[in-house]
Amino acid sequence: MSIASELKIVFTGPMGAGKTTAITAVSDFPPVSTEMQNNDQQSFAKESTTVALDLGQIGLGDGTVVRLYGTPGQERFSFMWEIVGRGSMGVILLLDGTSPTLLADLKTYTEVFRRIAPDQPFVVGVGRTRPDDYTQIDACLRVIESLQFSAPVFSVDVRKREDVLLLIETLLATLEVSQPEFAT
Amino acid sequence: MTLPNSRFDADLVRLGAHHLEAFAAANADVLLAVLTSGDGFEVASYPPNQTMTPKIAAMSSSMQALSEALTREAGLAKNRNVIIETDSGTVLILGLAGTQRLSLAIVAKSGELLGKLLWASRNLCKKLETSLQK
Repeated sequence: MSIASELKIVFTGPMGAGKTTAITAVSDFPPVSTEMQNNDQQSFAKESTTVALDLGQIGLGDGTVVRLYGTPGQERFSFMWEIVGRGSMGVILLLDGTSPTLLADLKTYTEVFRRIAPDQPFVVGVGRTRPDDYTQIDACLRVIESLQFSAPVFSVDVRKREDVLLLIETLLATLEVSQPEFAT
Repeated sequence: MTLPNSRFDADLVRLGAHHLEAFAAANADVLLAVLTSGDGFEVASYPPNQTMTPKIAAMSSSMQALSEALTREAGLAKNRNVIIETDSGTVLILGLAGTQRLSLAIVAKSGELLGKLLWASRNLCKKLETSLQK
């Protein structure tokens, strides 16, 4: 069984979680990027930030084309969350495991994207975790449980193509099981 | 005159506010003019302290970035401006030349002729660009 020929999935999460990096790591072509100089160094010290969207694409072996959309992380761009999230077949939420707002971010983005893309599969990737330390993963799973839904949570390094592919493949597998009408 | 954003150099904010105020005074149908950073922060605006200004700033920077991405993908030269026309008014988004990646968002009532508004807005951009280079 394979998924229908064209799918849209969304990478979301707070600023600095690695959405642009993740899409760049797997996209078949250089992603469409809307990176601008970051003037909000207090929130996250990095050179640039996404202000509209990222758009990449990955072709799977069975002919399926997966369009990869990334959202901006900052709340002032939340209008883009609605625009980008609409019609998505699944959501990959990326989080920074070292952030003091890790669990609050998980809760916020989960609630928002469960509303924008209801009933669509959700996969969570937590970056910058220490090897063999599952503290943050376990904490994330407890938060997800408290929100009364289920989603797999992985420790990932979004600079690694195989880690990002793991998230995408998990999402697609969940989609096949939960929504067989999208399988061909 | 208020200084809406401490992220930016105070002289830049004062200069922007001064030019926007003069522009609005000379163009009666302009409802809002916002000088915006590339990442969606208000640098200066006129009238100041409007509730909608932070959202307009963020949205205009997104649209400016999207239009740049679109023209880049299409193999066109760097885009100059984005024009949105509605039944009741017009929104212009113009990029300022220079390294700071600032843009200007103008919201005007429909009474203003588009050509005149565009001409006046481009002149404002040139004034801002010239002032910022000094």
